[in-house]
Amino acid sequence: MLEKILTDRFRKLVRAVLTDVRNQQDLRDEKEFAKDEERIKNELLDDIVPCPANEVLDEDFTVAAVDGSGTENFGILDDVRLHLVSTSVVVLQSNTRRGTLFEPMDRAQLESELNQEQPHLDMHWHSGVRNDARDKLAASLSDIYPNKSVTDLIVHFFQDYLGPHVSSFSDIDSTDYAKHKSKLESIQGLISRAGFLTNTAVHDELRRVSEYAAARTVLISEIRPKYILLDGALSVFMHFVLKYPSMPSGFMLRELCSLSRERNVILCAVSKNHTIPFAHRIAKMAEEKFGTGSKWFCLLPSQKDPGGGLHIYSDRTYIPPRLAVPYLFSFSEDNRPSRIDFDRVWWKKNIFVRDDPAKTREKEKALFQEIEFMSRDARWYGYPVALALAHEECKLSYEDLRMAREVFADVLHELGADVRRSTPMREDYGL
Amino acid sequence: MKLDKNALGTPYGRVGVGNQTNLEIIGNNSDVSVGEIFMIYSSRDGHERVFFFRVLGLQNYLRRVDDVSEIAGTLMVEGESYLSGIERNMLLSLDGRMLGYAEQERGKWVFRSPRRLPDHLAFVYRPLPGTSDETVNLMLSSQIDGEVFVGDLQVGEATLDVPVMIPAEFLPMHVGIFGSTGAGKSNLMMVLIKSFIDHNLGASQSKVDSKPRMSAFCIDPHDEFAKGVDDHGIQSVVDAMDQQTRSDVIGDFYYLTTHLRATPREVKRYAREINVLWNEIQPRDLYSIMEFTPQGQLLIDSVYSRVHEGWIDHLLKMDEDSEAKAGAQKGTLRAVQRRLRFLERSSIFNDSGTSILDDVFEAAETGRILVVNTSLMSDREQFLLTTVVARTLFDLRRAAKSSGNLGDFERQGEMRLPRPFFQRVKNKARAYYGKGGTTNQTEIRDLKMLPVIQITVEEAPSILNPELMRGRSVFKDISRQGRKFNIGLLVVSQQVSVLDNVILSQMNTEINLRLGNEKEIKACIENASVNIAGFEGEFRVMARGEALLTASYRELPLPVKIPLFDTVFERDKSLYKAKGTKKKETHHL
Ligand SMILES: Nc1ncnc2c1ncn2[C@@H]1O[C@H](COP(=O)(O)OP(=O)(O)O)[C@@H](O)[C@H]1O
Ligand SMILES: [Mg+2]
Repeated sequence: MLEKILTDRFRKLVRAVLTDVRNQQDLRDEKEFAKDEERIKNELLDDIVPCPANEVLDEDFTVAAVDGSGTENFGILDDVRLHLVSTSVVVLQSNTRRGTLFEPMDRAQLESELNQEQPHLDMHWHSGVRNDARDKLAASLSDIYPNKSVTDLIVHFFQDYLGPHVSSFSDIDSTDYAKHKSKLESIQGLISRAGFLTNTAVHDELRRVSEYAAARTVLISEIRPKYILLDGALSVFMHFVLKYPSMPSGFMLRELCSLSRERNVILCAVSKNHTIPFAHRIAKMAEEKFGTGSKWFCLLPSQKDPGGGLHIYSDRTYIPPRLAVPYLFSFSEDNRPSRIDFDRVWWKKNIFVRDDPAKTREKEKALFQEIEFMSRDARWYGYPVALALAHEECKLSYEDLRMAREVFADVLHELGADVRRSTPMREDYGL
Repeated sequence: MKLDKNALGTPYGRVGVGNQTNLEIIGNNSDVSVGEIFMIYSSRDGHERVFFFRVLGLQNYLRRVDDVSEIAGTLMVEGESYLSGIERNMLLSLDGRMLGYAEQERGKWVFRSPRRLPDHLAFVYRPLPGTSDETVNLMLSSQIDGEVFVGDLQVGEATLDVPVMIPAEFLPMHVGIFGSTGAGKSNLMMVLIKSFIDHNLGASQSKVDSKPRMSAFCIDPHDEFAKGVDDHGIQSVVDAMDQQTRSDVIGDFYYLTTHLRATPREVKRYAREINVLWNEIQPRDLYSIMEFTPQGQLLIDSVYSRVHEGWIDHLLKMDEDSEAKAGAQKGTLRAVQRRLRFLERSSIFNDSGTSILDDVFEAAETGRILVVNTSLMSDREQFLLTTVVARTLFDLRRAAKSSGNLGDFERQGEMRLPRPFFQRVKNKARAYYGKGGTTNQTEIRDLKMLPVIQITVEEAPSILNPELMRGRSVFKDISRQGRKFNIGLLVVSQQVSVLDNVILSQMNTEINLRLGNEKEIKACIENASVNIAGFEGEFRVMARGEALLTASYRELPLPVKIPLFDTVFERDKSLYKAKGTKKKETHHL
């Protein structure tokens, strides 16, 4: 293949496709962006006043972060796939008083607070071909997630989505969802995308639920952080027809949001790989407005917010995500802007002030000042250090996986199984 | 017998990647210093091994960070940035040497050269005083056992209660003590002398008379040993003894000096004045300490063969006519006389009086320690005294060794030794060397059963240099054959590089203290009896009183902290009182 890749012909092919993308997309979106430009610059974008390095906070606070990793083909036994999933919780104290900024909680203490080893490694199996795929996934998810009462679990979504009048499972009777009630009683029932349970979809769900389970453990513990940071977005994928989350993880996320509010925890999710178009243009705008090296954030409003949504993402259904408020932000000129999502219900109550954009802005600035403060580790400057550490702890390197697979083969051998059963069939042919 | 891992020390981390010379340890980044020893517990295939790794260099780096300079850059540019939990994410890359490993063989701990590696991810322990001592002591028993206490095992900045000893049987294979001024040589000599005394004390108390005692003729060029440098000296040990112990272990005297009258009163009671007679000096003694032309040696030899013991007097009085008669070149006599003239001026070499050699011989053969104050002698006198004593003791033992019985011995002695001296000591010699009798037919004892005699050679480069050793130096013979006769040299020197190869190659134990310069460090490393290549960095950071003990009969180069003499004396002084009143410390004897 290499002899083809290194040809001029291939270069031309790449160039042609890129030109096509640019022509199609940019021309269309450029017009859209022009419509938003003024509003972004004047209303949505603002700078962050960093708090001084040696600032001693009136109240030092705790930040927790959760991240996960894994692989969907850790091992294969005929038609059964083994999923390896790792999660890690990191808890930091701002410690401005002692001067050891964002010092991690000692691992032993953390493990005893969570009653779980850290990082945590788990394995699940799944068979994609059998017709009990949904049951098996449901069993794994129930196993992972600590809240075992499904009727309890789902209420939080409906409460946030429909309003406070839905506060228990029986309240669903009086809504349009009454007809789906039977589905809402079990995890199996919550898996409405049963037809699309590809390995990747299963793995994503296992991982997401594992991370949510870890976050929930932190919420329930005595750690009482001010923030819990997740990696990714606070997205809930809705079923087109049913109009509720298409997978159990959606309900679980809403339960986390609800528990967080109850406990005065700020739940947010940070993603490096956001899908916000024109982010680089917004960054440029910020640079022009606040100067190079400035730290800034930019609200990405929804249809329902004052002034409505932005044109640049009007055709993107998941921006902003359902029940979430995303911002773009940048704390370092060396990095491309990232995105952070907050729970919309929390945001409405704690950040947004109706008819008072100045007050709202003041609260936003205070919020981002704190988030910026927790993102100054020299190793990952501009990114929340708790998340960076969580990522470092949970990630499964190529070497880790190789070792894990060796252990797997070893155990298989101990059990008297044909080790070959676990290696890809192509290896039999030396492929 | 399973090892209690907790007794190894504090868990420090895990082995990352490693080979014999480099080990990456993932661990908490507490202060680690060059010279520290880590233990790695490995139990591959259920077989326990404890590896010893010595840090020769170290480097901090951040876990999972490839480019530290980039981080340093960020810390600079973004003034308000920090490093969260840096302690926990700090890694230490330890460069060093795998020293070897200990393992049990039929219930006994043995130590092996580093032919293997510990398991990947094996646990690393850092020895902790108060915790690790007993286990380390046990594991390293083959490396540290012996009769002569030198100091305690040092594991970096900490010292374990693990006494490091030299076996008596290796003393006749010569010991080198190397260190620059102030490195602690004098203090070490005092500690060693105390160890000899302690050993003799043990031997005298032991019911079964199996352990031979130790003798030492210790040159003390600054007159420090008796009174000590700080509070205590060998005199304190003598004073701490009860009457009986003192007479058993020290005898009537231990201190030899040029000026009895100038000796402090308490020492004076155990002092003797040094006097060596001209007729006890042989030409070889002079050849061992100064260079003569071949003509000069010829002249001396011919005079000696004619007049024997009277040779010095004869030569000094000889005139040029007799020189011509003796067939020597003109000017040779003058040159020889010039060289011998110091004997006329010397207060310790005389043509009459009572010789100290009889006493020295008696002390040597009965296992006693002599401290020889040479502070008021010239260098030449000191060297000649050392030489005459060494050669006399050596020749007596040689005469014994080459004889079947005491009758033979007497004939041999008369041949080899200055006659008047031998006549005086021969009866005593028969008593020492005869196996249960003194008749001519009495068999000679095995010399291994006699006290090991140690002779210190201070400022060794002045006599153990290649120029003198090329000739007929008596030290050449002692270097090569001391072992046969149970006589060893204790070579004390600030330099290694200038010593002759004969002595260096015959030396089997080296106590390497802090050295003065790179050249000496290099020479020391080359000379060491175990491979300590790469230890340069360590020599550079050695403090006074710290030493690296290397020995051909051990795999492990041992870092040793030599205690101050005052400390060990205070600790042990009660042992010198009448037996049985205090329990003896096990490691001490
Ligand atoms: N083992 C030791 N521990 C601590 N200090 C020591 C030790 N040995 C020697 N010293 C100190 O170092 C100094 C020089 O010691 P000394 O034995 O006279 O060295 P050297 O004879 O090599 O010149 C003395 O002041 C002594 O107190
Ligand atoms: Mg000295």
